[in-house]
Amino acid sequence: MSFDDPRAPGRSAHDPLDDGGNVIVSSGAVDARDAAEVAGERLERRHEEQAGDGKRPLTLWSDTWRRLKRNHLALVGLGIITVFMIVGMIQVVAWVTPKGYLAPYPPNATNYDLSPEGRGSPPSWSHPFGTDYVGRDILSRTLVATRISLLVGVIAVAIALIIGLVLGPISGYYGGWVDSVIMRLADIFFAFPYILFVLLIMVVLGPGFQNVFIAIGILGWATYARLNRGSVLSVKAMEYVEAARAQGASDLRVIFRHVLPNTMAPIYVAIAMGIGGAIVTEAALSYLGIGIQPPDASWGKMISDYLSYFWAGSWWMLTFPSIALTVTVFGFISFGNGLRDATDPKLKE
Amino acid sequence: MVTYVIRRLIQLVIVLIGVTVITFVIMFAIPGDPAQQLAGKNATPERIATIRTQLGLDQPIYIQYYRFVGRLVRGDLGESYQLQKPVLQMIVENAPNTIQLAVAAVLIELLGIPLGIYSALRQFTFWDTALTTTALIIWGIPVFVLGVFMQWLFGLKLQEWTGYNVFPLTGAGDNVLGVIPASWSSLATLILPAVTLGLIEVAYISYMQRASMLEVIRADYIRTARAKGVSEGMVVRKHAFKNAVIPVMTIAGIDLGALMGGAILTETVFNRPGIGLMIYQAIGARDLPVVAGGVLFATLVYVFANLFVDLGYAWVDPRIRLEG
Repeated sequence: MSFDDPRAPGRSAHDPLDDGGNVIVSSGAVDARDAAEVAGERLERRHEEQAGDGKRPLTLWSDTWRRLKRNHLALVGLGIITVFMIVGMIQVVAWVTPKGYLAPYPPNATNYDLSPEGRGSPPSWSHPFGTDYVGRDILSRTLVATRISLLVGVIAVAIALIIGLVLGPISGYYGGWVDSVIMRLADIFFAFPYILFVLLIMVVLGPGFQNVFIAIGILGWATYARLNRGSVLSVKAMEYVEAARAQGASDLRVIFRHVLPNTMAPIYVAIAMGIGGAIVTEAALSYLGIGIQPPDASWGKMISDYLSYFWAGSWWMLTFPSIALTVTVFGFISFGNGLRDATDPKLKE
Repeated sequence: MVTYVIRRLIQLVIVLIGVTVITFVIMFAIPGDPAQQLAGKNATPERIATIRTQLGLDQPIYIQYYRFVGRLVRGDLGESYQLQKPVLQMIVENAPNTIQLAVAAVLIELLGIPLGIYSALRQFTFWDTALTTTALIIWGIPVFVLGVFMQWLFGLKLQEWTGYNVFPLTGAGDNVLGVIPASWSSLATLILPAVTLGLIEVAYISYMQRASMLEVIRADYIRTARAKGVSEGMVVRKHAFKNAVIPVMTIAGIDLGALMGGAILTETVFNRPGIGLMIYQAIGARDLPVVAGGVLFATLVYVFANLFVDLGYAWVDPRIRLEG
């Protein structure tokens, strides 16, 4: 088998998906390798199980982690999420302290390095991200804005998740008309283009901090409900569920103790993507002027505020919050996708 | 197939009823008193009462809803508070630009299909990693950030370097038949917004296409085809391609509707007339009939795009018709 085969350039020799001509030889070899690997793993697992104390058997999570570790993009995403979470939580905690923030400068204080023309000043040692048109420190504002993004991501997704994880299992477990009603309701929520629906609710509720949570939160439940209903349907028929029911467990106990925990893998993927989505949605609402209101710093609001200064040549004001927003969203998307691939049995090698 | 079409149409009716109920509730039940809104701040109580009777706001809620649907069916979406103009007229004026933008973006996003297949066939190679990484990064860029970047690079910088204004930063040109650009300059106004909106979808589609292709080329029937001695090119073209592309084509179809949402941000960034810019300007004035009318229009486009995609999907893939 040649690496230069034009029909399969770049394929490695042990790729199970080799080209037609060599398929018998290669797949034979591969199967043997795979079998050896699987057997080896099984042995290892049995060994681990026997070892008992300290070592745990290969669970869904250790298997997922093993597959996730090979996906460098997902690991980068996980790293970004970790940094974002830490910075965000520090900012949230600092918010309730008397000082109200943790940054080099107060985020709303003005007149730092304000140029005579009122255009702020470019990055310098004392202000690494520069200052804006009223002389506010961009670095401090970008840092403090993390708390809005974190809170929106976590709270909005939590609201959606709670509604979805109550309605989804009920729908899947009971079936019949309950299922029909809940799923048709989900259809209706899916029928609206998401961002426009959020926008409509925001116009009605009026701009502001809590309303952003509410709008994003109450509109997101259908995704989780529908996903979970599907998993519940497939788990419901399993023997252990039947066993629990035979022992006389109540419906609620069966659903939330036995069915739900075994249907969570797709939900975790949806949570990662959902937090990323909520952060973008908040940024978009604030960009359009109906999200977070001044003087609170939000990445979306900063981007729209600094747009005209960007065109006037002050590139730094807009650039740093844009990068912060993009990198954060990238982190959630790439981790979410990696997690999906790692938990998808169809993509198992 | 007939049963499937009927079932799907019943679902459509339920969704349409639901959408109108929600729109109705949002427009009439929540935001204070519409009569007060219409009459203005300094109106006398008598004037407000007259308007209330005119609008039928003194009637029971189900009668109001019934009348609301009746007006919708006749195309009466109310009047803009701000411009005193029928909302339907505003939508008719603005829709062609938005549809043009959305269709152009869908055409661009189809590029993601060959990219995704290429990636999948060369899994774990340099180009696969490069394409996948780029796709994820672009996917993560908010459309309003990408829009500004495109304007800066291809509008401003390209003009500085070439001394020639290739792509106008804002606006829209004249169209033939409503949606086909009438001239080169009109096409030039379309390219940057369409690429901005389309590029993010290219990233998404190519990622999905890669995943779908990877799943298909691991399938038993592909292994069988290879074992029979079918050439690799033939396996990819005849056996894998169709099965891997159909699910992604449905995503692309559904996107036509989702793009209606993305269009509001794109049109705002490029200051390009359309449903999105119309909604944006109405938000500032809290002009609820215009916002609701625009959202309702986009929703209808979305709902019907979904319907046609589903029917098309069921037509090419018989398994779908049998699912519950």
